[in-house]
Amino acid sequence: MEVAIIGCGVTKFGHIWDKDHDDLLVEAVTEALRDANLELKDIEAVWCGTFYPSTGISGNVFSDSLKFFGKPISRVENYCATGMDNVRNACFAVASGAYDIVIAAGVEKLMDAGSRGLPPIEGIFSVGMPVVSAPAMFAMAANRAFKEWGWNREDLALVAVKNHYNGARHPKAHFRKEVTVEEVLKAPMVAYPLGVYDCSAVSDGAAAVVLTRPEIARKLGCDYAVIKAIGMAVETMHPWHRPSESFLSFPATVKAAKMAYKIAGIENPRKQLDFGIVHDCFTITELINYQDMQLCKMGEGAKLIRDGVTAIDGDFPINPDGGLKSFGHPIGASGVRMIAELAKQVLGKAEGLQVKDAEAGFAHNLGGPYSVATVAIVSKP
Amino acid sequence: MASISDCSVYLPVWKIKREEIANHTGMPSMGGEKSVAHWDEDSITMAVEAAKRLKGNFDAVLFASTSSPFRIKQSASFVASALDLENAFTMDFSNSFRASTNALITANELVDSGKFERVLVVSADSIPTKPGSIYEQLYGDGAVALAVEKNGAAKIIGYHSAYQPLPGSWMLKDEFLSYDMRLDAIFGYASSIQRSAMSLLGKLGMSPMDFDRIIASAPDPKSYEGLVKAVGAKPEEFFFKRTGILGTAHPLFLLASQLEKTGRILLGGYGEGADVIAIEVSEPIQTNIGRMLESRKEMSYSDYLYNKGFIANRDAPDRPPITKLWREEKSVIRFYGMKCKKCGTVSYPISRRCVECGADDFEEVKLGERGRIYTFTIDYLVSPGNYVGDGAHPHCVAVVDLERGGRVLFEVTDTLTDFKGTECDAEVERTFRLLFEKNGFRYYGWKARPAR
Repeated sequence: MEVAIIGCGVTKFGHIWDKDHDDLLVEAVTEALRDANLELKDIEAVWCGTFYPSTGISGNVFSDSLKFFGKPISRVENYCATGMDNVRNACFAVASGAYDIVIAAGVEKLMDAGSRGLPPIEGIFSVGMPVVSAPAMFAMAANRAFKEWGWNREDLALVAVKNHYNGARHPKAHFRKEVTVEEVLKAPMVAYPLGVYDCSAVSDGAAAVVLTRPEIARKLGCDYAVIKAIGMAVETMHPWHRPSESFLSFPATVKAAKMAYKIAGIENPRKQLDFGIVHDCFTITELINYQDMQLCKMGEGAKLIRDGVTAIDGDFPINPDGGLKSFGHPIGASGVRMIAELAKQVLGKAEGLQVKDAEAGFAHNLGGPYSVATVAIVSKP
Repeated sequence: MASISDCSVYLPVWKIKREEIANHTGMPSMGGEKSVAHWDEDSITMAVEAAKRLKGNFDAVLFASTSSPFRIKQSASFVASALDLENAFTMDFSNSFRASTNALITANELVDSGKFERVLVVSADSIPTKPGSIYEQLYGDGAVALAVEKNGAAKIIGYHSAYQPLPGSWMLKDEFLSYDMRLDAIFGYASSIQRSAMSLLGKLGMSPMDFDRIIASAPDPKSYEGLVKAVGAKPEEFFFKRTGILGTAHPLFLLASQLEKTGRILLGGYGEGADVIAIEVSEPIQTNIGRMLESRKEMSYSDYLYNKGFIANRDAPDRPPITKLWREEKSVIRFYGMKCKKCGTVSYPISRRCVECGADDFEEVKLGERGRIYTFTIDYLVSPGNYVGDGAHPHCVAVVDLERGGRVLFEVTDTLTDFKGTECDAEVERTFRLLFEKNGFRYYGWKARPAR
């Protein structure tokens, strides 16, 4: 499978009080179409990812924002991996030849949900199960990693410091401010041992990519990047009830990565790829992702951040865009934005944040209680 | 007549010094301390905690309380289901501080008639009182469970019950306890107990001298002492200084405190009249009363107010429908998991397929009482039992590996805001608690607490 990314659009992420989800979608899609030098009428089908506030309005999330009527639109929802699963579905539709040019878009208006953290998902879990916030789910992984490997809060803080450093240089990031280890450690606790700076931002935003097959991209005369592989896996939504769960590795990521690496013919990602974007919803998640994405052995995630390997000028930069940590995480938009960031990097268009000699990289999107993961490999044509 | 063969008490892990109450309310302190239920405890959960220590089957459950959480819904059936009893006659005794002795007398009749083999009498109370009121200092929270059967170490040798038309203590729905203590103390208490006792002694052909100990619940500790001294006997410990008066559970708590010694006991239960029961202890019955009294922690008055619901946001969002609770009763209330017949994995809750291997061949198994924390967190976004987005209280959850298999995510309770000791590999035990209240219904289930 090879799918060409010919247009990318990303809104500014952040607390966007004055814009509705349709404003954000129109902005992202307009920018993506302009980038591809196409018009909305050229689009044959749309996949639109959104998780919270637009639930219940299905394909109309997109149709009524863009006034795009009479064509196929599917709404995709897969926890925090909604965005990239959305791209995955669009990719297969294009690769199959069913459509030539499609849009994969994602949007989220988290600020409208009106709470700290994410709004609750109600009514579907067992009556006996305690409610667990998103940071609490990942904090449980951190506490076990602390116990097992001797990692500590300083190791986690280094992730925040690195991603904020990168995000400060990205014009569309939510938080464009560097932070110090001391600031991270002093921040108020959210779910022990994760403080405010260990958590990604709760933000609004939208992103869109225009996808086609490489031969059409060439015919259109577009600059394009290639999606070489997308792997995806769904695991249990009750990791806390599965006795074999280690909380030190997220099996969905491991399986999605293996799938994507296999399709793209990658045996050693550290050698065959140049950089990566991982789902750093929390600082601990990024360190565990290093291991699950096979960048290092189990237990060595913290060493990678301590040694500066994943810094933007390191041996294998991770989250040169600032990650969810400083970019913000409007759920449906994030995975789409990651794909757009990969395309920008391999096309050498990541001004100010360009990874040196970036020819191929991966992006990883993780959702739920580590139960849904998507991994994509993007390279130069 | 029947006998008491086993006994177990439950006191919440928390207590408060009356001095601490006095310091904050400005009212004079009555001295000592009282027992305080954690916010997720009520008379149903405390009854389960007391009763679950009693091993063996019961064919009847008699529940006695003046603070049943439901106005229409039986508490005894909840207790029976949490104890995983297959079939049992269930009955609630309520509305009077005499409810527990009423239940003990009824249990005696059920067994004596030969129709029931082993009856559980369980009494619990957590009486709502106003901050600063005298009742706030008088009443404590706790539960007592007794096994009543044909043969046991403590034989019931007789009883007499008589009512007296007094106002007594009263509480209308959703109000706090109130009554005219003077009327009770002067005209009610002593005369009621004496009248029932004289009738009983007459029936038995005995005098007060034939009894080793006289214990009787009372509106206040002084009334009890006065009563006993009037017949020339020595007052026993009334536990006012250590637990407070445990509502209708108090007479049975006093009885529990006397079962470890042999001898003849006269037990009085008071409330608009009196039940007097004569019991002969031929062999000491080991109770957990000492361990319960010793393994407690002190709380502040602000924590007390939080626990009693005066300062807390308890507004849970929409939660699973009640129909779901009904379907999940075996897992959520009876606490069964499943054991896969293919790979042997024990898991929770009961599900159609094994979480490890996907096989659909399994047996239902009762899960263990104790376990170790695999991992945990203290969540500042979620309040215990709800998810308001602005936590009123941090919430501790832990992934626990149970003895004999099964891994469960539990809320860790009894912590208040002190999470010391909650760490990987720490030992915890299951405890039956209120999970949350929504749409006029209380959802119960199991939580974990530091091993006590």
